[in-house]
Amino acid sequence: MKRYGEHRFPGKLFVVEGIDGSGKSTQLALLHQWLQSEGYGVVFSEWNSSPLVRETTKRGKKKQTLTPSTFSLIHATDFADRMEHNILPLLKAGAVVLCDRYIYTAFGRDVVRGMDPQWVRELYSFAVKPTAAFYFRVPLDVAMKRILDGRTGVKYYEAGMDLGLSEDAEESFGIFQGRILDEYEKMVPEFDLTTVDATLPIEDQQTTMRQIVKAKLAQAKRLRVAP
Amino acid sequence: MRETYASRLPGMNLAELPGKLIVIEGTDGVGRSTQIRLLRPWLEQQGRAVLDTAIKRSELAGKGIQQAKEGHTLGRLTLSLFYATDFADRLEHEIVPALRAGFVVLTDRYIYSLMARAIVRGADPRWIRNVYGFALKPDATFYLRIGVDDLIPRVVFSRGFDYWESGVDIHPSEDMYDSFRKYQSELLAEFERLAREYNFEVIDATPDVRTVFEHLRAGVARVLSGEPREPLFALPIAPPEPLEAAAKKVLEMPAAAKPAPVSEEPTPAPQALAKAAEGEANR
Repeated sequence: MKRYGEHRFPGKLFVVEGIDGSGKSTQLALLHQWLQSEGYGVVFSEWNSSPLVRETTKRGKKKQTLTPSTFSLIHATDFADRMEHNILPLLKAGAVVLCDRYIYTAFGRDVVRGMDPQWVRELYSFAVKPTAAFYFRVPLDVAMKRILDGRTGVKYYEAGMDLGLSEDAEESFGIFQGRILDEYEKMVPEFDLTTVDATLPIEDQQTTMRQIVKAKLAQAKRLRVAP
Repeated sequence: MRETYASRLPGMNLAELPGKLIVIEGTDGVGRSTQIRLLRPWLEQQGRAVLDTAIKRSELAGKGIQQAKEGHTLGRLTLSLFYATDFADRLEHEIVPALRAGFVVLTDRYIYSLMARAIVRGADPRWIRNVYGFALKPDATFYLRIGVDDLIPRVVFSRGFDYWESGVDIHPSEDMYDSFRKYQSELLAEFERLAREYNFEVIDATPDVRTVFEHLRAGVARVLSGEPREPLFALPIAPPEPLEAAAKKVLEMPAAAKPAPVSEEPTPAPQALAKAAEGEANR
């Protein structure tokens, strides 16, 4: 079992991280588009998307029986499935893999839910270290406004309602996201996250991102699949 | 105050858990569930409330694991973590509440089987120990020990070789017999390491059901009375025979001529088994 930082693959792995409303998914979609147009073999993988555990996660969320430990472990199971069947083989095959959320999402959420920080880090030690991990830094109020303006409600676990922070979903969501933000800030130096100012215009953020990705791909021309 | 192996789960109060957590461990087909079916009515006769629990029985993940195992795409780490999810769900929603209410919790396998399976499948031992670091230390772990040579006829003449119990996922190129033998030998070797590390109480599982039950019952009675543990009766296992010799032994085994040693049928304790079945029906 290879551990974080020990893998060597021809492919490249780029991940985006940040609280809800930081704009990371928008940026990743733009990057995806650009890499494809440049002729790279690009594959996208999203957090909590493995078909293998979907029913289980759904059951736990619906019945609200997930605890911090089972919430953490079911997401780790989901991640392991994507790692073993998707991310690892694609990186071995030389693809550019893009992940919307990665292990740092789990470190943030699970620790805020009270799981031991070292335990969670060791839990995900089988993960491949990304070529670059972009962290979209955004003040809480900006992110909250972006999220709540376009939506009618926040879901139970999404709002951290299981923590009993507040009876009001929006208020709970705010407190929960604020705590996750604090965890992200701790992770920036710990995991050498590449910080992007997510309050800047979308095009400016994308320019920064493309420059960094381009530099990382410079020695990997053979990843191009299109003529 | 109860202890965990390492980390603690948020919101889990380890004080005031007066019940007893008793683990029955052992490899596939060794007779764990038969013994639990005997233990339960015996304990209930003494007025003890019993919860029995086993792997994959969680409300949350039991079904999902079953479905995943029927497919062909289940990765090794994924399987380990799915089991860990199932375990955490049962720990928080069944085991701890039962201990709090003063039950005797009989668990058919615990983290040790899950660790052994993961390690045999290539997981880093440090990693899997961390995963289960939040598990409660049991009051006792009884390990039903058997050698692979005694295990094989038992499995062959009862339910036959099973895909996962034969480790076909990790030894795919061989037939079920070879896979089973190889996989179970690895598993048993890992159990021996775990037995030392976690101080299992070893029970020889090679005799008939009644004899094994008598040993187990004595051990459980001792745990419940709070008496200290006796010195281990360590039973060294002979090194595995060469493959050909063992295969020959099984093939040559005429069903009638065999000393019928390994039956897990209820013959030795029909009354207790009938009671167990009754208890099951009443639940």
